[in-house]
Amino acid sequence: MTAPPTRRPTPPPAALSRPLRTLEAAGGRFVGRSRLLGGALYWLFWRALSRRAAVSSGVVREIETLGLGALRLVVGASILVGLIATFQVAYQLKEYSAQSLSANTIGWFTARELGPLVAALIIVARSASAIAGEFASMAANGEIDAMRAMGLDPVKYLVAPKLAALLIVLPAMTIFAICFISVGVWIGNLLLGYTPNYILADIRNSLDIRDVLIGVGKSLIFGLVLGVIAADEGLSIERRVSAIGAAATRSVMFCMLAILAVDTFFNAVFYFIPGLV
Amino acid sequence: MLEVRNLTGPFVEQVITDVSLDVERGGTTLVLGPIHSGKSMIMRHIVGLEIATAGTVRVDGETFDATKRDERSLRRLRTKIGVVFEGSALVTRISAVENVELPLLEHTDVPSAEARDTARELLAEVGLAVDDDTTSEQLTRAGQRLVALARALALRPPLLLLDEPTQGLDAHAAAQLDETIRRLQEANGFGVVIFSHEVRHAFGGARQIYVLGEGRIIANGDRNALMASNHAVVRSLLHRRGTT
Repeated sequence: MTAPPTRRPTPPPAALSRPLRTLEAAGGRFVGRSRLLGGALYWLFWRALSRRAAVSSGVVREIETLGLGALRLVVGASILVGLIATFQVAYQLKEYSAQSLSANTIGWFTARELGPLVAALIIVARSASAIAGEFASMAANGEIDAMRAMGLDPVKYLVAPKLAALLIVLPAMTIFAICFISVGVWIGNLLLGYTPNYILADIRNSLDIRDVLIGVGKSLIFGLVLGVIAADEGLSIERRVSAIGAAATRSVMFCMLAILAVDTFFNAVFYFIPGLV
Repeated sequence: MLEVRNLTGPFVEQVITDVSLDVERGGTTLVLGPIHSGKSMIMRHIVGLEIATAGTVRVDGETFDATKRDERSLRRLRTKIGVVFEGSALVTRISAVENVELPLLEHTDVPSAEARDTARELLAEVGLAVDDDTTSEQLTRAGQRLVALARALALRPPLLLLDEPTQGLDAHAAAQLDETIRRLQEANGFGVVIFSHEVRHAFGGARQIYVLGEGRIIANGDRNALMASNHAVVRSLLHRRGTT
């Protein structure tokens, strides 16, 4: 008796194959990045607990590069965002003759939303391409292969120090952003004709420590997202110099999208599950 | 010392097919072939940077399956093999001394200060005098190659692989590097495999030469045997130099 003919799987319709391939690639990328995140977190704990420091542990250097270098940008952008928010909210409240509530309205939004987003997007614009470009350059020059050939895990020596620095820098920059957005709100309200002490009291009343902690908590997640995506874009290039620029560009793009997506998720959760935090 | 059997694997333009090599302890072997013949890819498969579709690698009595990416056994394999990559491939974000320290800090329990002292001694052994904060970019190409050599020998491996070791060096620097490798090999007894298109290595200390063409071994033997070969690729490689 002959064996039944083997049925070959039916290929998808031509119109679907490109989106399916894109989804498949995205799925594979997600798995790869999750693995990278897991490895980086493992080495982060190892760094925290091990008495044996890695060569030039590098975290301090990364904090200087990623954080201190971005401080002026964060301060400037935050003041401007504070001003914009004040004028926009005051304009809307004018209809109800309630412009005086603008500082109060903006306060919780600053801590929960504007502060962490401004800090994260500034750091992304400034550092995501730098991280991806650095790793891509190392990959193109064979440095990553050399590390692997010596039995060194690039995640331990390269990714974990960056991630450690981002987990310090992002919350710190978020605090700075919250403070300086409040400065922008203060200046904006001065321009609207309110007294300094009145505005200050309003801002103080509107900023709740719980909102600040939520903002700082979000910034930690943003730091992880930024670090993993930028590192993955840099480490997974093909070994040619021309791929470096593309990796840097993709890094900025995907980091921004991912941070906005994560923030959207948080907002949806906080809205639909009131009282959660 | 090193036995590679039936190594087969894909790379960009062609497949490496059924490559088998033997390297004696303390001996020097040359894998000679034109550019893009697969020399570097063979080396990458030996140290597990690429996954083969078939083949095994046996180093210092332990056999590794080249078709599997088992991180634990790869880690063991990589402590037995020192590698000097084409272009040195030093980690540029750290100093030369820190490059040499890396394998010691990763694979041994020596304190950091002792690892630093050992790194300095290794650099002195290869004939390079540098400060602790000298970066690889501050060194000449020959200096970078010596740092890469010291790094590859940090764990005193029984086997050293060199990919185009004298590429980009002038004749004097190349001769000095060859002499340094020969001296260290005599003192430490490790096996050496050179992957190169430069036929000058065939007229150096290589006892066994494998000639690569189109992804496979097309001839092997000592220099005299290959000089007498009638194979077109072998003749074009070995007789190009015009001297014996």
